[in-house]
Amino acid sequence: MAGYDTAGPIHDTYVSARDEFGRDPAFWIRYFSPSPAADIFADDAVAESAGAWASGGPYVGCVSAPYQSRLSGSAAEGLADAQTYAASMLAAWNAVAQLKLPSNNQLWCYLDQEYSTSLSQSYWDAWANYIADYNFANLRTYPLYPALYCDPLSPFPNCSILAAAGGVTIPASVWSSEPEPCGSLASVPFYDADECSSVSRSKAGSHLWQFGEQDACGFSANVDLDVGNVITANYCFRVVSDP
Amino acid sequence: MHMRALQRARAAASPGAAGAAVRLSRREMLAGGIGAGALVALPDISLAGRAAARSARAAGSAGSAGSGSRYVLLYGTPEATSFPGGSVASALSPASRARSLPAARPVATQLTSAPVASADQSSVALVTVDAVPSGAQVTLTVVDAASAAISKQGSLTITGIADGTSILPTPVFAPGTATIAVVLAITEPAGQRLARKADPATGGTRVIRPVTWTSRHALAYFNSDSGEFTGPFHLGNAPALALTTAAANSFDLFLWTTREPQPAQARPQSPPLPWVSVFPLGSGQARASVPSPAPWPASEPVVTLATGDAARLVNGRAVQVSSAQTGEVTQTAIAPLGVTRAKPSAVTMESRPDGTVFMTKPGIGRAVVADPADSFRVTAQVDYPAPAAPGGAPASKAVLSPAGDTLYVLGGAKTGGISAYDVATGKLAGSYSHGRQYFGLYQLPSGTLLTLSPGNPRLEFFSPGLSLLGTAATNLHVSAVF
Repeated sequence: MAGYDTAGPIHDTYVSARDEFGRDPAFWIRYFSPSPAADIFADDAVAESAGAWASGGPYVGCVSAPYQSRLSGSAAEGLADAQTYAASMLAAWNAVAQLKLPSNNQLWCYLDQEYSTSLSQSYWDAWANYIADYNFANLRTYPLYPALYCDPLSPFPNCSILAAAGGVTIPASVWSSEPEPCGSLASVPFYDADECSSVSRSKAGSHLWQFGEQDACGFSANVDLDVGNVITANYCFRVVSDP
Repeated sequence: MHMRALQRARAAASPGAAGAAVRLSRREMLAGGIGAGALVALPDISLAGRAAARSARAAGSAGSAGSGSRYVLLYGTPEATSFPGGSVASALSPASRARSLPAARPVATQLTSAPVASADQSSVALVTVDAVPSGAQVTLTVVDAASAAISKQGSLTITGIADGTSILPTPVFAPGTATIAVVLAITEPAGQRLARKADPATGGTRVIRPVTWTSRHALAYFNSDSGEFTGPFHLGNAPALALTTAAANSFDLFLWTTREPQPAQARPQSPPLPWVSVFPLGSGQARASVPSPAPWPASEPVVTLATGDAARLVNGRAVQVSSAQTGEVTQTAIAPLGVTRAKPSAVTMESRPDGTVFMTKPGIGRAVVADPADSFRVTAQVDYPAPAAPGGAPASKAVLSPAGDTLYVLGGAKTGGISAYDVATGKLAGSYSHGRQYFGLYQLPSGTLLTLSPGNPRLEFFSPGLSLLGTAATNLHVSAVF
């Protein structure tokens, strides 16, 4: 079941994406602060949720792309970025009554590590601990799970950092940006995401794969294409009715 | 010819061929206890001949490069495994083949936050935080960029904090003054309890001891003449988000903060807006504090304008200007930057000596110059092919020459290398590529261009005319250059 990630508003994007790919997405991955494009969900979470509902893919996954040089920084920087990330997801939940946590109570929270960015152990450990420990909405269910978007085979530290993680800082999922065979939602390639396990002792599996990026694949719609080897929608916010 | 020069340079950077090996040893560096980043100083290659000669005489003294020389300060994370032949090595420059560069040398490690350069690039401020019996000691160090030597250092202690408190310091130079404001985000742990959490690896549950963190802020002011701190002044704004944005003019500090959102008693509930407060330098009492439009502060670019107002570039497409008089915010869209793609793009903004601002958005391959005195009217725009990794560190993918007539950018994803554009016409003026993809581009005060690559030699130096001058290796994964 494939879906989209995009830095554009869902309600401005889903029609052109459906026209291009001929299918409804199973989910959308959206940017949350601290991140570029986080304003879209933050400024109008209702419109975004309504867009997801109307698109036929009423599941909203979460990613945050902090200022990238911070990812090679200190624990204090990791903690501060995670705090704002968790707060921005709570703010979205506060703003849309129809937005629910996953029924399995596991919301995967991706940290976006772009190619050419290095991840430090200090940053990851503090970031992942904060996410895992966050008492979302005072529910005491601790539904947030740290996860990482990266290119596992890049020369910049990522999988080696995950290999040293332990306990709750072991990511629930890696979202791999490579390889990139393109394809479409109607013609999803056989699941073949790059894995951290091929370059390190990391226990984190690539459960989500970005198999087509707009610029590299020449898509017209402002979307990248993603597919999971698990049901990705199960680890996203659910939009349970039209907001 | 360029390939041969590169091969020579690579050979020079190989084990045993270059300057003295330098390992990042904590003992010989300015070091703090709670941090990750490191800083290394490397001479600007265009000055290699003079610097090497002086270095030979001065045998590595801190000021050996002498007046007119300039160090390149590299900030990043050391490799887990050392670079063969030494952590940092310098390469022969084709312009001075008989001499190798003086070796790079470590300046600091365990930095708690990224260094910050003064507006004139003459100084860099570093902050470390150490746990001490009475609390946490925050040490600010000013490094003179010309010599890479410490010019001033001072400490203050934050007392009355819980064990395990996280302190995130942000230094802010106040231009034209000796004052460096330091914004301190103080995040304390509390409420540890036992809980159960699903374990996705096993399908069962695990017992956890989740910690609840609460943040607040304090201000301190460092006098770079005396080395003395004033403060800390606690703002009493808990619970706040630790992330802030700050800028200063010669009189005031502008500080954007956000209240931490709390669970809604009844949904829907709107998210909190940030506030911008204006503090007279040296004071912990705001003389103005007003709501600011979203977004929450989160490392967005911010500059101080010639008027004394502070401007932050938000959402990748608009400038919010906070008045120096009242703090009140006005927002102006920068239309050429309002392009949407699937992938979000980071942006940069720098103020220029003529009062204009330079903004780039590498993800859409566009750079503009805008005039704040004329409602941020765009006075120049250059489009270029988006580089291979527009969103990754370091943030600097395009630079404007000091004269403002040439834009240097990383080559496109298909070609790599670097390119130069005529700002007046927007046309390509020159390019250099031997197929290698670079991920960062800087122009040093000497005019030399510096590119960054993932593997060694990570540093390549070019003339303003795009001729390769030489290369250098480092064991740092470089995330910023000063």
